[in-house]
Amino acid sequence: MHKSIQETLKTGWIVIGILAVMTVAEFIVAIAVDDKAILFALLLIAGLAKAWLIIQYFMHFGQLWEHISDAWFGMLSDDPEADGEED
Amino acid sequence: MTIQKPTGKRTKPVTHEHAPRVNHRFDPLTINRLGLWLFLVSDASFFIALLSSRFFVVGTSTPEEVAQVLGLSLTILLLLSSLTAYRAEAAAEHGDVHGAKRMLLATMAMGIIFVFGVGFEWHEAFKHFPPSTAFGTVLFTLTGVHVTHVLTGVLTLGFVYFRVRNTDSIGDNQWAVEGAVKWWHFVDVAWVFIYPTLYLLK
Repeated sequence: MHKSIQETLKTGWIVIGILAVMTVAEFIVAIAVDDKAILFALLLIAGLAKAWLIIQYFMHFGQLWEHISDAWFGMLSDDPEADGEED
Repeated sequence: MTIQKPTGKRTKPVTHEHAPRVNHRFDPLTINRLGLWLFLVSDASFFIALLSSRFFVVGTSTPEEVAQVLGLSLTILLLLSSLTAYRAEAAAEHGDVHGAKRMLLATMAMGIIFVFGVGFEWHEAFKHFPPSTAFGTVLFTLTGVHVTHVLTGVLTLGFVYFRVRNTDSIGDNQWAVEGAVKWWHFVDVAWVFIYPTLYLLK
């Protein structure tokens, strides 16, 4: 089901807000944390979370699975030989 | 109520005897989206290789001269450009061609400012860590490859804008907008990892 333009834009603002907060948090954490391993782990987690937000909400990753399943089941259901057997 | 046993056979779709077989599962939009995602995944592997090279070449250490504020500003700018790109796609999807045009222009403008920002970063970086140094090699390679992607993104968005600039409806250009915007988001995702790798690690 398609979202209304208002809902879509609201999603965009929420996601960009979270991304901005996380980016500033990364910057503060990088200043505050001295332990290299902990800093690396925290930045990696933050990077993965930000990437997931962009991929999921801006790039519509969920849509990809619909296409993959459509293509897969399309290949199964449109097999000419299988159709021929049932004739 | 009778319950039919499953026969294990797929039911054949009812079609006209002489009608051409059309595979609705493989419509052009599905193929376009799958193809673009495949390309993005392959391009991501290139960035992963480059990002990992940072740790092999210089470990996790970052010179103090790295322009932290500039790095943060570039990151926020690119994130904002992702919002305008997202709004361009949303506007196109809802038939608001003028809104889509405005947002495409805003995204391109931010992309161009980003490129100039990286140019300024290079100007400063040459003084402290030229490409002949280990960190300079990493910085110029990563930002150079990324800014090339940004430039291609700006060109692609410009091409899409050129296609829709004199029209009152998106029409056949819906996929063009979506594809260009997806590419732009990909460039943003790449920067999400490049920024902490180059600027924030100690």
